[in-house]
Amino acid sequence: MARRVLVAWLVAGLTLGFAVAGLPKVKIVFSDWHLVEPHWEKALKEAIAQFMTENPDIEVELEYVSYAEKETKYMTAIEAGVGPDVMHLGPIEVSFALFASRGYFLDLTPFIKAEGPDFLSPWYPATIAAVTYNGRIYAMPGDFMSMFLMYNKRLFAEAGLDPEKPPTTWEEFLEYAKQLTRDRDGDGRIDTWGFGTVGKVDPGFQLRFTPLLYSFGADYLTPDYKCSALNTPSAKEAFKFWVELYTVHKVIPPGVTDMSPGKVREQFAAEKVAMILTSGWGPPIVKSIRPDVNWDEILGFAPVPVKAGLDPEYRTTAWLSYWAINRNTKHPDAAWKLVKFITSKAMEEKWFRDANVLSSRRDVTEVYEPILASPSARINAAELSRAKMVPLIPEWPRIIEAVNIAVQKGFLGVDPDLALSEAHALINEILAGYRVPGEACPGY
Amino acid sequence: MFRVRPVLAIKKEKGADAGKQGVSPLNSYRRFFGSTTGLWGAKQGYFFILPCFLLLLLVLGFPTIMAVLNSFAPIWTTGLKNFTLNYYRRLLQDYIFWNTVLKTIYFVGGTVTLHLILGFCVAFVLNKEIRARRFFRVMAILPWTVPDVIAGLIWAWMYDPISGIVNDFLHRVGLVRSTIEWLATPTLVMPSVIIADTWRGYPFVMLVLLAGMQAIPKELYEAARVDGATWWQELCYITLPNLKRMIFIASILDIIWQTRRFGLIWVMTEGGPARATEVISVLAYKTYFKFFDFEYASAMSVAMAVFLFVIGLPYIRMMARRV
Repeated sequence: MARRVLVAWLVAGLTLGFAVAGLPKVKIVFSDWHLVEPHWEKALKEAIAQFMTENPDIEVELEYVSYAEKETKYMTAIEAGVGPDVMHLGPIEVSFALFASRGYFLDLTPFIKAEGPDFLSPWYPATIAAVTYNGRIYAMPGDFMSMFLMYNKRLFAEAGLDPEKPPTTWEEFLEYAKQLTRDRDGDGRIDTWGFGTVGKVDPGFQLRFTPLLYSFGADYLTPDYKCSALNTPSAKEAFKFWVELYTVHKVIPPGVTDMSPGKVREQFAAEKVAMILTSGWGPPIVKSIRPDVNWDEILGFAPVPVKAGLDPEYRTTAWLSYWAINRNTKHPDAAWKLVKFITSKAMEEKWFRDANVLSSRRDVTEVYEPILASPSARINAAELSRAKMVPLIPEWPRIIEAVNIAVQKGFLGVDPDLALSEAHALINEILAGYRVPGEACPGY
Repeated sequence: MFRVRPVLAIKKEKGADAGKQGVSPLNSYRRFFGSTTGLWGAKQGYFFILPCFLLLLLVLGFPTIMAVLNSFAPIWTTGLKNFTLNYYRRLLQDYIFWNTVLKTIYFVGGTVTLHLILGFCVAFVLNKEIRARRFFRVMAILPWTVPDVIAGLIWAWMYDPISGIVNDFLHRVGLVRSTIEWLATPTLVMPSVIIADTWRGYPFVMLVLLAGMQAIPKELYEAARVDGATWWQELCYITLPNLKRMIFIASILDIIWQTRRFGLIWVMTEGGPARATEVISVLAYKTYFKFFDFEYASAMSVAMAVFLFVIGLPYIRMMARRV
């Protein structure tokens, strides 16, 4: 009898064991351009491993994608009825409005409602508004950072400038840049320039040009998004100032129209340029390019300068990335669990520790001790209150390309007024759909 | 000592034996499929190419049909309900598109001409009895093995105004003093891209022309030399006339390929600066994948395909005649 009971228990135990071990795992694909960056890859792999430990019924497969081609890849895949379950996208203005309007994303509103009424309260309201389309929330906000000035204190000191007194106005900035543009090795040729910036047609262009426009009190579009606002005196002044940094004052290195954000950071790391506009990603990338340099002593950070005598409401722009779930996902619950985990307070703190990025969660950016202790993160967080995002409309990529090309033309010697007037006309043409027939925009 | 039997004799014997036994592969095939000649034979041929044809239809035909339909209506969202010619109308009025047409003509004209000149010169030299000819032939083909994206990256680094080898070399030999912005100056950027593409693309033309040169009977040259012809006369009266067909084929194919060229231009300039190298393929790509204007981008691509089809018609006719 005892033997029979023992055998029965053994059979039952083995059956249960096999049943548990053989539970079908839900497999979801997680795609992020950060995976191609070693420091991010390590951080994300650690996080995903932790997620899978906490959720043994979910298996997460990582999908690598390049930053430049992620929108193309996701769009093609989603149209074909496939694609990763969870995607990281940014900057938000490039893709969100268009992808949401085409129904590429799963509506997260029901999941958020199920989490309770206070679920969204830790996030900056502006970031939640940014991921809302037609009253529905289609994504969770990710990194939220402002653009600021990063400069090389060693080059400042060598040029006779006080490294602890960065420029506060654009006029001062120009004087500094002129002083920093010089021949350091004595061969008779300029080898160090005051300022490095993006001139190529690139998503990084707007992050560098927009702070200038805002800090001159100008904007791209009228508040109703019906017309271009590049015909205002402040916009014209800002545009001319930017172009002349290269054409007249020559404080930007040659070949600016071919400069991508990566190349500019390389110039900064090689100490060929003394000042650049960047955000949280800037310091770790520069450190990774030249790890032998003691950058903690060399790097200085400051808010974006403003036009002298002006105190504009906004003087910089913000970068916002977002996490979205593919409409084609077969496992929406598992995908939501992953998004919730990635955007949790603990993970957002981890992203700062591992990659120096700030969070769209106020309970991280405003109170997390390491952020408050970091010089660059302090400036970054403080400037968020002075940062405005660019218009989140589907036409934005074409609009910013028109401005980007106008700046290129200006850099190449075309009269700044002519270049800007062409962009103004083209943007008005792009925005025609927002106006009623017969409604015209003011000329340049 | 042994005696070698002619191979043909052995084959004949084997064939005779097999015929007696009735198990030759040909007989088995005939028993299974029937006659291999006449109408049924021809049909069998079609049967065998059917899988390949279906595969081609799937990977080439389907996207082509969808692109054509997409150029008339947003098929991915509303199907053919909103059929319109507006995208083609917009194409006709779009000055940016016509600017890219001009840039495409400039790029294709420049690269095809240089491919032909360089390809002909290299083929001409490699057709001579020179030392280490095989080695030089391999060397000459090498650029063609480099993917155009990689070639674009290599040349972009070489053209870099601060750390590129081109400016460094010109400085060292004292040809220039100021920094030349090869990819950032509108007047220089297209020639710079054309040079890069010439390096990458000439081996195809060279191979075609070399094959053509090798097919010219040597007796023609020997007779010409007996008559006292100079190398220039040989070139003008023997080589070039006999190469006419090959030059024609190479030109047509190169025009088609160069019009579609995308990777090299994209990695070198992305169409910039200020649209100076924005060819049709770059604009169509940007319109589709950056601005997500699918229908308009499809209209551009279809217009380009029609243009290339017209260009390719003489080649198609020639191939059809040969068949």
